[in-house]
Amino acid sequence: MNLGIRRTLDRVFTGLTGASIVLLMLVLVAVLGPMIYRGSGAVLFGGTIEFRKMQRDLFNRADRAALEAEIAEADRARQVVYDMIDRFKKGIDIATMSSEAREINREYGRELRYRDVASEEYTEAREVARIIRDKLEEAFSSQDIALIRANVAEVLAQKDEARFKGTVAERFFSLATDFLDAAEHIDLSHYHDYLVALDEVEVILFGSIEHPGLLGPRPNQSARPLAMTSYGATRWDRAQALLDRLLWAEKWVEKEPGQPLVKARSPRAALFHDTALEPLFAYVPEHLNEMLRPRFTVYWQFFIDDNFDSHYFGGVGPEIIGTLLITVVGMLFVVPLGVISAAYLVECASEGPIMRILRMSINTLAGVPSIVFGLFGLAFFVLFLFPKLGFEPKACILAASLTLAVLTLPVMIRASEEAIRTVPRSYKEGSLALGASRFRTFVTVTFPAALPGILTGVILSLSRIAGETAPILFTGAVAMGPVPKSIFDPTRTLSYGSYDMAVGDRLAMMVPHNQYGMVLTLIVLILVLNAVAIVLRSRVFKKLKGH
Amino acid sequence: MPEKDKPMPATAAYSQATKSDIRMMVTLGSRSAPDSKSPPAACVCPVIRSNGFSLYYGTKAGVRDITMDIHPCTVTSIIGPSGCGKSTFLRSINRMNDLIPHVRTEGLLEVDGQNVYDKRTNLVNLRQQVGMVFQKPNPFPKSIFDNIAYGPRLQGIRRKEELHHIVEQSLKAAAIWDEVKDDLRKSALALSGGQQQRLCIARALATRPRVLLMDEPCSALDPIATGRIEDLIGQLQSTYTIVIVTHNMQQAARVSERAAFFCLGELIEYDRTEKIFSNPAKKQTEDYVTGRFG
Amino acid sequence: MLGPSADRRRPLALTPGEDLVGFIASYLGRAVLFLITATSVLAVLLILLFVILRSTPFLREFGVREFLTSRVWRPTADEPVFGALTLIVGSLYVSIAALLFAVPVGILAAVFLSDIVSWKIRNVAKPVVEILAAIPSVAYGFFAVLVLAPWMQRRFGFSTGTNALNASMILAVMALPTIISVAEDAISALGRELREASYSLGATRLETMVKVVIPAAHSGIIAAVVLGMMRAIGETMVVWMASGNATQIPHPWWDLSQSIRTMTATIAGEMGEAPEGMAHRSALFAVGVVLLLMTFVLNIVSEYFLSRAKKATGKS
Repeated sequence: MNLGIRRTLDRVFTGLTGASIVLLMLVLVAVLGPMIYRGSGAVLFGGTIEFRKMQRDLFNRADRAALEAEIAEADRARQVVYDMIDRFKKGIDIATMSSEAREINREYGRELRYRDVASEEYTEAREVARIIRDKLEEAFSSQDIALIRANVAEVLAQKDEARFKGTVAERFFSLATDFLDAAEHIDLSHYHDYLVALDEVEVILFGSIEHPGLLGPRPNQSARPLAMTSYGATRWDRAQALLDRLLWAEKWVEKEPGQPLVKARSPRAALFHDTALEPLFAYVPEHLNEMLRPRFTVYWQFFIDDNFDSHYFGGVGPEIIGTLLITVVGMLFVVPLGVISAAYLVECASEGPIMRILRMSINTLAGVPSIVFGLFGLAFFVLFLFPKLGFEPKACILAASLTLAVLTLPVMIRASEEAIRTVPRSYKEGSLALGASRFRTFVTVTFPAALPGILTGVILSLSRIAGETAPILFTGAVAMGPVPKSIFDPTRTLSYGSYDMAVGDRLAMMVPHNQYGMVLTLIVLILVLNAVAIVLRSRVFKKLKGH
Repeated sequence: MPEKDKPMPATAAYSQATKSDIRMMVTLGSRSAPDSKSPPAACVCPVIRSNGFSLYYGTKAGVRDITMDIHPCTVTSIIGPSGCGKSTFLRSINRMNDLIPHVRTEGLLEVDGQNVYDKRTNLVNLRQQVGMVFQKPNPFPKSIFDNIAYGPRLQGIRRKEELHHIVEQSLKAAAIWDEVKDDLRKSALALSGGQQQRLCIARALATRPRVLLMDEPCSALDPIATGRIEDLIGQLQSTYTIVIVTHNMQQAARVSERAAFFCLGELIEYDRTEKIFSNPAKKQTEDYVTGRFG
Repeated sequence: MLGPSADRRRPLALTPGEDLVGFIASYLGRAVLFLITATSVLAVLLILLFVILRSTPFLREFGVREFLTSRVWRPTADEPVFGALTLIVGSLYVSIAALLFAVPVGILAAVFLSDIVSWKIRNVAKPVVEILAAIPSVAYGFFAVLVLAPWMQRRFGFSTGTNALNASMILAVMALPTIISVAEDAISALGRELREASYSLGATRLETMVKVVIPAAHSGIIAAVVLGMMRAIGETMVVWMASGNATQIPHPWWDLSQSIRTMTATIAGEMGEAPEGMAHRSALFAVGVVLLLMTFVLNIVSEYFLSRAKKATGKS
């Protein structure tokens, strides 16, 4: 082969090997990048006044006086929005207006009865009121502006009648005036469209029983059952998204027949062109800051708070506790077992069939798929062992910990074995030559010298236990539930929570920061443990080498 | 072979030895039997007795058919080319070879009249009475104090003052007290190589042994540290029975009264040091000490 | 001066009592240690025993043949059918696809780490591999569902983003650390002499690697691949979350954009809905047995190649 070709090929090869490592780095960035970027949003974000209200109500955590003042300030800015909507509503909300007219009529009748009036006067007044009501109702349901003007004029003609002065019936006239005012400005043929559009705007602004809104429920609205819909946008990014939805109407349209639908955006203000509501779409973006009062927030309590409404609010406190509990209980089993096994393998066992069986078992155990450990944990610990020991046969922390202990046993044994093996033989000889027994030598010299290495193993097992999900699916993890009271209760964990929030829970899609925050917490926990292990290992290595 | 490349002949080694050493050797040489060097009353019979002792690693022989007596309060050096079994023999005396799998022994090896390889030997007591210093200084990764107190603590000494006393005495005996007395809590690993080796000697002395085995104690040290260790051996000689393995013939000549020459696992010659170096009985020994082989 | 003191001298011979106590203590100690160490053996046996025991009611009722040959897995129908073939094929399918991605990259990366870079760069590159290995599988699954799947759907116009391609790509990333570290050990264990011999004959690095080093390290590299396969086939969370869980064998067979379902995902997904005492639960245990047997076989194969690799480098 030509030398030139050979050299080119060689360069290409070298480049490819380098590219493979670059690829790995890119993968790492691609995986961790979104998690860090979006997950950190669970802790660091622009918290609005709604967030502070939520913290006050749900977690009892606020500077109440300052918050009250702030709320009053915000409400002042919001009042404009409320007024605009109410005014617009007067023109189009036929059902409400009709019922209001009927209500006035009824109340007027009641008022008359309490007042001492002559019977014919009473009958007449009732009659006039009924006529007014009917005229109004006719006007409300009409789409003919001439008829509306005529009817309203007729009604208003009664305005100066003495019998209505100072009574509830006066509301008839303001109702009529407002309605005419609104009706003059809107296209009456689109009543229904306005209604639908207004409803959408209201849901975006104030939320509904299912959807949280931008500003939260109006002050006089009845309380909602779910916490998530009882507050407006608690985060500035969420507020921006809702504002975008407020300003732009989205529609799925078919561009060409047979093609998939595409999203089309149009300004929502256009729907309300020339109406009383149009200024709203300029006012809200301009004054959103005053209405929500965002402030940079470090929500460190994310790591201790419980969550509300499937992680819509709150943090991952119970998940962290559950993960730690399972991990600690698991370590209680696996560390002594692993260290003693390793000590036996290094110090006592001699090569032979028994040793081969031990080694093979450890290797096999290391290769068993994690889900099979889950099956085993369910079949052995939960369904077989627990009833035998008199425990309730249900998934719980103890079962999960035991299962995970078996799972990480090979990791622990291998790391400890390595650690014990790397202790220089001279230490052992020195101790034996001073007359220490082998047991004594192990306890006082070999073990302390191997301790950092063993700790590395402990940390690696710890991170393995904390991250495993499949083995605890049937042995101790739940997606929802109270904080465990004992190790005989099941628990939430970070790992299972991450799974559940990624696929199991529709609601979680609305709070990506909490989704990513959960998994980021898990990753950070594990990477920190690993980093500690790596540092420990290199320091031990240096120390042993330096000697 | 050019003259300068030759190892220093034994006679040159003598010229380097101190005057007192030479005087001692002369006195030794003038006596007819080595046993007749007037020993202290307590040291009459040999401390270590080896009679036809062999040790095998599996089927390979480490040492074969060794017969020699080592007398109390003497320094005995074992010399020979590398791989000749000198360390193996030394380590047999306090059974440090037990750590190696498939070791088998034949013959008799006695310390204080007790067969070392008897099943009923109290290993703990044996190793307390036969201290050992290794080729490379091997202090434990503990403080200086804890290193020295390790042995006494094994013997059940718990009282602080007593431990302090023993630590001080041992460090003084090993001529390192002045250098470390101010920071006994410091890690032993922070000491220099020579200091570490003297610390290891002190650690061995702290169990109050009768015999001190030294396995090439200076091979990892520089000449100055070596000199200090050799001086120390000279001081310890009056109280301890010392067996030292060395590949440095000058050192053997400087420190020991008696020398044993090992080759290929066998004891070739065992006699007074002076005789081994000046007038060996065997050809092999002569070849070795004059640098013709090994 | 401290000296050997007569009062402290202790007898060198054990008394018969001491001898007996020592004997018993040492044997008892060893026995206890051995029993504790034997926990691993016990665990393996118990896993085998209990998983097989739980699966026998099903196997007795429905028969092994149908279980292994039927393509229909309909556990909740009125007349349930449990054909695990689709699941077995699914597991093998994504694992092999994952290896197709992972093996070339893994070997190149191993060569890079062992032969090409300086220690400095190695110290940067190595932690990357270690971090990739440390990230828990559920986090990879999370990434697959929430980041990779929507992206693939947008970018390639697949009907669903959770499909065999997604699962096998993530599995490849998860198998890579194993493959890289085992292969790198095998390649760097060969020693400098072999390489120097080749270089001295005028070979380029490519030729040295491809013609001398990699063939010489083939046992270790095969072991690396098998261990990577084990990792992929036993992985649960990622395939459960990313593979789409459609019980089908892809058709045409090379179409990775179809959803697929593996044994592990089936167990994880259905165990919660399979009540105790029903054939369904027992069938899931039977799937576990198949999984277990597969990993045992792979384990034995990897051990064989690892010991061969050890022998080969031990000799050189």
